[in-house]
Amino acid sequence: MSLAETLLPVAVLLPLGVATLLLALAHWLPPRLPKLVAILVALAVCAFCVLLARASLDGPVRHWFGGWTPDAAGRPGVVLGIGFQADPASAALAAFCGLLFAAAFVFAWGYFDTEHAHFHVLMLLFLAAMTGFCLTRDLFNLFVWFELMSVAAFALTAYPLGRSALEGAFNFTITNALASFLLLAGTGLLYARTGTFDFATMGAALARTGADPVLIAGFVLVAAALLTKAAILPFHLWLADAHAVAPSPVSVIFSGAMVSLALFGLAKLVAQVFPGNAEVMGLVHGLLHGLGLATALVAGLTAFAQRHLKRLLAFSTIAHMGIMLTALADGSGTATAGLLLYILGHGLTKGALFMAAGILLALRRSADEIVLYGRGRGLWAPALATGLGGLLLGGLPLGLMHGATGLMDLSAGVLDRVVVALASALTGAAVLRAAARIFLRASGVPGPELLAPTEREHEKPDRPLWLMALPALTLVALALVPPAAVRPFLGAAAARLRDPSLPPLALPEAGSLDLAPLLLTAVLFAFALLRRRAVRPLSRAVTRSERTGFRALQALHSGLVGDYVAWMAVGLALFALAAAVSAG
Amino acid sequence: MTPRWRLLLLALALAALLPAVLRVALAMPEFGAPTAVLGQSVNALVPELRHVANMVAAVNFDLRGFDTLGEECMLLCAVTGATVLLRGARGERGDVRAGHLPGRPVIPRADATVLVCRVAATLTLLFGISVALHGMTTPGGGFQGGVIAASGLLLLYLGEGYAGWRTLVPSPVLAAMEGSGAVLFVLCAGLPLIAGHPALTNGLPLGEWKDLYSGGLMIAVNAAVALSVTGSFGLLLVEFLEETREPADAPASNEADHEDGTMRART
Repeated sequence: MSLAETLLPVAVLLPLGVATLLLALAHWLPPRLPKLVAILVALAVCAFCVLLARASLDGPVRHWFGGWTPDAAGRPGVVLGIGFQADPASAALAAFCGLLFAAAFVFAWGYFDTEHAHFHVLMLLFLAAMTGFCLTRDLFNLFVWFELMSVAAFALTAYPLGRSALEGAFNFTITNALASFLLLAGTGLLYARTGTFDFATMGAALARTGADPVLIAGFVLVAAALLTKAAILPFHLWLADAHAVAPSPVSVIFSGAMVSLALFGLAKLVAQVFPGNAEVMGLVHGLLHGLGLATALVAGLTAFAQRHLKRLLAFSTIAHMGIMLTALADGSGTATAGLLLYILGHGLTKGALFMAAGILLALRRSADEIVLYGRGRGLWAPALATGLGGLLLGGLPLGLMHGATGLMDLSAGVLDRVVVALASALTGAAVLRAAARIFLRASGVPGPELLAPTEREHEKPDRPLWLMALPALTLVALALVPPAAVRPFLGAAAARLRDPSLPPLALPEAGSLDLAPLLLTAVLFAFALLRRRAVRPLSRAVTRSERTGFRALQALHSGLVGDYVAWMAVGLALFALAAAVSAG
Repeated sequence: MTPRWRLLLLALALAALLPAVLRVALAMPEFGAPTAVLGQSVNALVPELRHVANMVAAVNFDLRGFDTLGEECMLLCAVTGATVLLRGARGERGDVRAGHLPGRPVIPRADATVLVCRVAATLTLLFGISVALHGMTTPGGGFQGGVIAASGLLLLYLGEGYAGWRTLVPSPVLAAMEGSGAVLFVLCAGLPLIAGHPALTNGLPLGEWKDLYSGGLMIAVNAAVALSVTGSFGLLLVEFLEETREPADAPASNEADHEDGTMRART
């Protein structure tokens, strides 16, 4: 075995082994050791996965556990064991997870002084689940890591133990446990038809089978599960509750990596398992595209009407997931490259923004832009991170996210480009408005955000500012890397996500400078800050109807888990109707 | 949404789903017709390749052993999460007594109860170990055996009372069992890598078919799972039963609030 083939399982075994060892010894270890070990493990996972990504440029790196290769059974189409496979995209995303965890661990230094290292055990298990999710090529194994990710995330969300944290964790648990059931049921249906869990073997079997309701149902259930995790309308309602109440270092991971990883998993399945099935690809190009646009628009508007910074960022994450889903549904090589780059750029930016919110929660004991009015002056580091982060979300023509949007635009229609620009501008302007109020004392009469729910909470205060600011600024700086630096790698990654034998895709040089989203951001930002009290009858009527509209949006996010489950059923019904329509 | 609207929405969604569900159900493979090639290949090949009689164990601990590692960590993760939630809300104190309902008399435990519980707990532990040991030959194995062994701890609570139970069942030891079982599993997976083999390679002598020693590395993995599951379930029992103890005078929530600044009210 080559070094890369040996390292492939180590990327999962190392965090698993260290987490369980910490748990076993937690009672007797000095309290600082787990924190240090956790940072080192996350960095090691990142380094291993970078090595894997480089090695996989020469061809996919595979590892068959227990030596059960597809030939071991001696029967074609029968894969007895489980395989891992590193293609450049999967390995790079796993490396990104390691990096984000390392940043979150540094940020959380001193946050969790509780005994028994439980926080670090849960986080390392979470990291192992994410790398496993990236690197596996087996559908049931994917389910195992999906589920481990969920279990770790439920506990981490409830970690603060306040009322809102428990409620958010409860909604998260119910909806995502349902998603696990859906994923398991879908896996069962696909296995019933194809007799295998291995992606490549399953793809070959699917291409032979042709139209079959069992296969379509299998895809629908798997997709619904991954879309729940990725927070796509109407499966998205849990996200804002959970991300807003989880401890900030955990929110960094949730928004920066976990949700977009689910979308990456779906992209991988669509590219490797389902391309031979016309009905499924019809659903991908039709329904998923529509859901992406609707998600971007609805969540963008809702984000603009929030006042609690973490809740605002959570809705912004949903909007950006919608944007990514349109790229996934497009499916062309450049759109896939755009999707991969967007996951990185968005994850870095959102991670930094959640850290800035965490700094405010720690040092100013609130994350409410109206409560914090002007109280952030002097905190230049979080101000810089929030300002730059808001600009990047809103379409600043620099850095990874802008490069990604440029790639996605190459094959996007006019409607897509308008919706993407609008959603980016709404989220960017919302973040900038909050930053201007908190750090610059700029205001304007609050609009519909005054009606939004907020929370009185704070996080452990006596941590040094530089230790919290350093990871936030590092992440923003990485998000500002010029996209040209990663273009050759990205071309190979996008092509080989579909088929490991394809030659690298030649991505075009940066196209024309698209300033439309940034201008739109500036307009919305100015609108929010220059807003005056409505005095004249006409403006009062406008304000009233605006409030009615946004109140309806807030009512949708009721916080009641029964509503969320009903909407998930509606989502499944949408899939069923779309499949029936396309079948004739 | 009012409950009525929610039900209406759900009913509409289910009505739209019903035809699709029927269509899929009718297209499914026949009930009771074992057509899965993978399962039949396992039945045909593995007794020869791994010398084990229990195919479920072979799938769990060898063919798809890596899934089991994930599942094992999932259990460990769930128990750790439950510990965080329960212990965090309750506070961790050693000097407390069992709770009791005011007005209800505390009747001393009969000697017969103590005796029966001690005998039954020992037998349960032995039965659990036996189920775990016979994992390669008969239905059972580490998961089942571990759960049985841990459930014997409940009999200790019944027989010895709260104070006796707390001395007999120290949670750091259970956590150490839970963690070290999982570490052993990770080592079973990782050590073959050092020798240049794939992870989880079954390099131990395979033993005799239908013998207690059969399956090679599977025996070590099985033992790791048994150890870890016993620790996990034991820890879970401790945390749940701690909820019954007498609450401390001052609510733990206020102290925690001052200490780390997070709201720790129990609602």
